[in-house]
Amino acid sequence: MPLARSLSMTSLNGLPQWEDEDLPVEDLLLFEVSWEVTNKVGGIYTVIQTKAKTTADEWGENYFLVGPYFEQNVKTQVEACEPPNPAVKKAMDTMKSQGCQVFFGRWLIEGSPYVLLFDIGSAAWNLDRWKGEFWDVSNIGIPFHDREANDAVIFGSLTAWFLKELSCQFDDKPNIIAHFHEWQAGVGLILSRSWKLRVATIFTTHATLLGRYLCAASIDFYNNLDQFDIDKEAGERQIYHRYCMERASVHCAHVFTTVSQITAVEAEHMLKRNPDVVTPNGLNIKKFSAMHEFQNLHSMYKARIQEFIRGHFYGHLDFSLEKTLFFFIAGRYEFSNKGADMFLEALSRLNFLLRVHKTDVTVVVFFIMPAKTNNFNVETLKGQAVRKQLWDTAQSVKEKFGKKLYNALLKGEIPDLNKILDRDDITIMKRAIFSTQRHCLPPVTTHNMIDDGNDPILNTIRRIGLFNNRSDRVKVIVHPEFLSSTSPLLPLDYEEFVRGCHLGVFPSYYEPWGYTPAECTVMGIPSVTTNLSGFGCFMQEHVADPAAYGIYIVDRRFRSPDESCNQLTQFLYGFCQQSRRQRIIQRNRTERLSDLLDWRYLGRYYMHARHLALSRTFPDKFEMEPCAPPKTEGFRYPRPSSVPPSPSASQHSSPHHSEGEDEDEDERYDEDEEAERDRQNIKSPFTLGALPQGKKKQHGQYRN
Amino acid sequence: LPDQSFVTLATNDSYVKGALVLGSSLQQYRTTRKLTALITPQVSDLMRKVLEKVFDEVILVNVLDSGDSAHLALMKRPELGVTLTKLHCWALTQFSKCVFMDADTMVLSNIDELFEREELSAAPDPGWPDCFNSGVFVYRPSIETYNQLLQFATEKGSFDGADQGLLNTFFSSWATTDMSKHLPFIYNLSSTSVYSYLPAFKAFGANTKVVHFLGSTKPWNYTYDSRTKSIKGNMDDPKIVHPEFLNMWWNTYTADVLPLLEQHGIVEEVTTGVNMAEVTEAVSHISISAPSPVLPTISSEERKERWEQGQADYMGVDSFDNIKKKLDTYLQ
Repeated sequence: MPLARSLSMTSLNGLPQWEDEDLPVEDLLLFEVSWEVTNKVGGIYTVIQTKAKTTADEWGENYFLVGPYFEQNVKTQVEACEPPNPAVKKAMDTMKSQGCQVFFGRWLIEGSPYVLLFDIGSAAWNLDRWKGEFWDVSNIGIPFHDREANDAVIFGSLTAWFLKELSCQFDDKPNIIAHFHEWQAGVGLILSRSWKLRVATIFTTHATLLGRYLCAASIDFYNNLDQFDIDKEAGERQIYHRYCMERASVHCAHVFTTVSQITAVEAEHMLKRNPDVVTPNGLNIKKFSAMHEFQNLHSMYKARIQEFIRGHFYGHLDFSLEKTLFFFIAGRYEFSNKGADMFLEALSRLNFLLRVHKTDVTVVVFFIMPAKTNNFNVETLKGQAVRKQLWDTAQSVKEKFGKKLYNALLKGEIPDLNKILDRDDITIMKRAIFSTQRHCLPPVTTHNMIDDGNDPILNTIRRIGLFNNRSDRVKVIVHPEFLSSTSPLLPLDYEEFVRGCHLGVFPSYYEPWGYTPAECTVMGIPSVTTNLSGFGCFMQEHVADPAAYGIYIVDRRFRSPDESCNQLTQFLYGFCQQSRRQRIIQRNRTERLSDLLDWRYLGRYYMHARHLALSRTFPDKFEMEPCAPPKTEGFRYPRPSSVPPSPSASQHSSPHHSEGEDEDEDERYDEDEEAERDRQNIKSPFTLGALPQGKKKQHGQYRN
Repeated sequence: LPDQSFVTLATNDSYVKGALVLGSSLQQYRTTRKLTALITPQVSDLMRKVLEKVFDEVILVNVLDSGDSAHLALMKRPELGVTLTKLHCWALTQFSKCVFMDADTMVLSNIDELFEREELSAAPDPGWPDCFNSGVFVYRPSIETYNQLLQFATEKGSFDGADQGLLNTFFSSWATTDMSKHLPFIYNLSSTSVYSYLPAFKAFGANTKVVHFLGSTKPWNYTYDSRTKSIKGNMDDPKIVHPEFLNMWWNTYTADVLPLLEQHGIVEEVTTGVNMAEVTEAVSHISISAPSPVLPTISSEERKERWEQGQADYMGVDSFDNIKKKLDTYLQ
């Protein structure tokens, strides 16, 4: 079949074709509708923006993103142009002639996709009429006070109107697919269906409205999923209209998708429909040309973090930085949803374990969660100043020492080591050491918190007593602000910081997808996640032994909080017991998983959803195997045959295992061989596509 | 007089607020009778303690636990749950005579003279004046009457599904026999009649002795501004044509009830908006006082307006199941 499959897809090494997803894209138009197209509000922006390149590569001129027009966004992100497609232009002109502003251009991101933007303000005079129309087709009314919901009606009405003007121009082809993200875009879908437009519709939720609200209210969500009276819950939380818009969109869509297995479970109960396809979120992955460049970056940025630690812990540096591990948690400040509560509890237990086993490993834990602050605190800044002063003192003494040594050598003498430092030098050094005397403990937080007394993280730290005492093997640093490369404390941006750390810890309770651990993975940094996060579910499904690949998945779904916390502690303790060599091998494996998270691979789930929508809308033209592959089980990374295995299994009977043991293990590890096998594993399901009979394959068959 | 009492009923914490205002208003006008509150298990312990500060007796009525004929009646006619609780007031035989008042009423003067009336004295219902409104009535506690009522309820049910229908059928001679059992309307002035017959209200409203806040939005659902001492919000709402009564309710609430709630650590923010949870509670319990005039025949336009005021009837006509049926009309 002749296919407009772009070069960048076929030229990928190790990334397979999806044999049964061939769509005649030249005879199709794809519209992807979201409130966050060119408009960053939350996480959907990242999803759409990173995915754009892959989709644009596949669909070329026939791919359009639809979003709201905001002057500021358009100025900085969009380049205006004429629509290349005459039908699109005609539909736009009709709308313009009736007083609505429609904007067309290229979005200046990778892939430069076309965008079609509707000016909500200029169409707002239609609001009452459109709310009436929406009421008539759905019996859902919109409260006056909810601006966002009213905007959603305007946006949805404009979208549906455009689709109507467009589709009425076509007879047989091209066929139109409209893909709507989140409830804000849903009105367009509901109207399109009620007007019976010839459009295949897809609706994707990234998290359910109600789930988010219920989890934010600290309700035992997953154990009561089937118990909620959802109409009542939504009504009591005054989001009933939004919930109805979301659920009606889900109900009307030809194909409904969510971003993860866990959100699929949530949707089943909160939206009463099982998703047809799970469409996981990916990243735009840039490969380094050098094989292990990410390892070099790790040591480079680790050195920068170590510098910070030297300053922060001045006067208390009785631990070896070489044997210090950096853990971190990052994200929105949602104490229990992000699992900061469980993490702190596990740290307290880890501290105990490390102390009773008299380990020489020290763990420094960073909390990067923005809260309200009055800037840096004095003690923290002083730490960095002290470090700088010691450095300067050392430099000047070194300079003098160097000169004397040079002169002595010129004279052909070995200098008298007792005289080479004079009294002045000794005094300077003594003074410098004196200034590093410290009468308080190294601070737990780097900033003056505005609501210090009620901060849940700080209060928990007070309760469990992790105050950075000398005897503590776990040290805590709360950095309640986003990282910045211009910070006087820790001059690193987020990516650099992650690269410098050893382990990201994200024991979330509510995490529909979870970009933070995914970002760690593509940078080759191991991370802890949970089976309540979309990312964790995805990895569990694709990797036989995730821990060996640096993905530790805490079971928070089927275990009690205490058991989960113990499991997390075991993961952390096991990680601390790994040798440096083991960690390097683990990072190599982690980094290899990044192929899995690449949109070039994950984009196919979207392709599959589109195909399914077409086959449901135009059954005569687009056939599909009745039980075609809706599973996210393209392949599985096998358990690595060589050691080191997962740390939980690698616990040595003695905590002081010698380096010699590691040497033995190393001989059984062959990086190249293993990497090649992983590549084969990615490929295998799809190379099988050339098997006899030409029968289309179900992906489920290829499970290893 | 120790053997006569005013009796009210609170079925949840929202209605407790109403009962507290009623009790405080009775005290304010120096009633010489006892105050009794019947409560259901849905009322929280804290609120019960507050009730005990205002009422002489607070009695928990749990029909499900009663183990008597009331329980049997409930099993046969589960739809009469709250009604059966209300009938329990006939079992208060420690009193010789009582005046029952709904928790959404409030007195504006001393009404002890009601105890001179006989069973069953009540004021006409504004919606159907041949029926009495069961929001205020004089009665004599008696186990015999109580059992008769229960038996009657089990056999005949209630034509409006609530106590008012039941009592009107049971005391069916009220409309035609003894005029002394017809209480003047000022003893149970329903707030809805203010706008349904405004001239009459202007002529006689000043004599009002008892206000009855009929309708789905109860006084405690409104937002009150304690600085201006007035109800905030949409004054176009016909129910607030004469906001004086609502303001009076809130004055009593802020002056007498709020301090009690604060003492008991029940956090109360005076300026909270209309709480959806409470509105629904109010709607779902509306049958206590009267057959609702709005619910069954509401027009599409009215429903849309309610949505737009953030008051969708999500447990009733606007439930998602109904929305789904609507959507399914055009989905294949």
